[in-house]
Amino acid sequence: MNDPYQVLGVSESATDEEIKKAYRDLARKYHPDNYHDNPLADLAQERMKEINAAYERITKERSGGGRPGSSNGYGYGGQQYRTSSSSSVLQQARMAVNSGDLSRAEALLANYSDHNAEWNFLKGVICYRRGWMDEAKRYYETACQMDPGNLEYRQAMSFMANGPRGAYRPGGGPFGTEVCPGNLCLELCCIYTLCNGGGYFFCC
Amino acid sequence: MYGYVRPPLKTLPEEETERFRRVYCGLCHTLGQRYGAAARFILNYDFTFLAILLSDPVEESCSKSRCIVSPIRRRSFQPSSAALELAADESVILAYWQLRDGVKDHDWLHGVKYRSVSKILEPAYRRAASLRPAFDEQTRLQLALLERLEAERCSSIDQAADAFAALLAAAAQEVDDPVRRRVLEQLLYHLGRWVYLVDAADDLKKDALSGDYNPVALRFGLGDGVWTAEARREFAATLDHSIHMMATAFELWDFGVWTPVLESTLYTGLFQVGKAVLDGRFRAVRRGRIRKNHKNEEETT
Repeated sequence: MNDPYQVLGVSESATDEEIKKAYRDLARKYHPDNYHDNPLADLAQERMKEINAAYERITKERSGGGRPGSSNGYGYGGQQYRTSSSSSVLQQARMAVNSGDLSRAEALLANYSDHNAEWNFLKGVICYRRGWMDEAKRYYETACQMDPGNLEYRQAMSFMANGPRGAYRPGGGPFGTEVCPGNLCLELCCIYTLCNGGGYFFCC
Repeated sequence: MYGYVRPPLKTLPEEETERFRRVYCGLCHTLGQRYGAAARFILNYDFTFLAILLSDPVEESCSKSRCIVSPIRRRSFQPSSAALELAADESVILAYWQLRDGVKDHDWLHGVKYRSVSKILEPAYRRAASLRPAFDEQTRLQLALLERLEAERCSSIDQAADAFAALLAAAAQEVDDPVRRRVLEQLLYHLGRWVYLVDAADDLKKDALSGDYNPVALRFGLGDGVWTAEARREFAATLDHSIHMMATAFELWDFGVWTPVLESTLYTGLFQVGKAVLDGRFRAVRRGRIRKNHKNEEETT
């Protein structure tokens, strides 16, 4: 295993508090919520395991090797869709989505004629994973209209409509085009001076 | 690609803006060495960003030289590397095909500047295409697809953006490490999607006047090129989902010394550019800069 301090990005002389802070920041970055339905979620999960193990090892060492520390590491697992499906075909499509086999999931849905709420929801998940964000939102909307009481569909739709507001951003701060502070006009003026002052004008 | 992808240079420490500039200058030198001085004009921030993504996590020792824009003082720059060469070749291919696209989109008279520039770039393009045949093929394929969607006046922004996104994702196909390739493909896909959509948003007013195809106008029913509050909110959310996908991919690979530049571009620069485009401020500034550049070029020639 790698050096646990290196994994957390802290020095060995860091205080317990600093270590906890570094761990929390990393855990927030690689948290399953930040990678929900992300095609790279498996890589984030590996990273999360590594971070949890490193933190646990440090707290164990520092507490004299006694109890495994109070670190209830953040874990993956909420990523799967467990809701029981209305049909075995949709159930299979869900399983294909969960295993990352989008082509198979798509083929299963294409041959399923009852375009009910769940069918639309699963189409939405596939679109999201493929990066077709606008289509994903539309399918989630249809799923919600057909089954307004379903929490899973409602959560997905609200996430798509509001944007990933709660997504990780270094140093905290809001995540979004309309909410991120800073004025580009000034920045561009600055690039002007940097370009001309720096003597390179090919930039465009 | 039109220079939408840029780090917030003002808020970055000087050490990092200099590092960014050294790649910018390095890519310019690499373009010059491989394709002659005329190819250097395609250089922009977007291609620099691509070069950084493809770079090794450590910065190689710098070279120093004078150049046309800094004729007296010798400036440090990144010497040619496998990453810069790949970025240079791919930049030439992308730039050439975009110019060809410009020729097709304009009538004979208005296409003059695109035709003349693409004529100048043609020998460079032929060489780049022979060096990177797979990327050239992907580029042709996706741009032909895009042309078809434009002719059909496709109103799905995802489908229209997918062609350019897939094209940019193909820029990572020569990366050997499978994890790094997955990360870069995902990052570049959404970078391409974001660039395509932001560019369409930037052209809203212009296309409303000329009647040219604009997927964003069609999707949100903005025939007059003016945002409604609802459409703007929805569009910003879809941009943010792509930025989120880029950011989550970025966090899964160690980009070493490039981390601060990439991080600030993804988590700040893209938001600022997107907002300026939505506010209609970006185009004005860009026009100003282009005029300024032409003036400079005239002065030196």
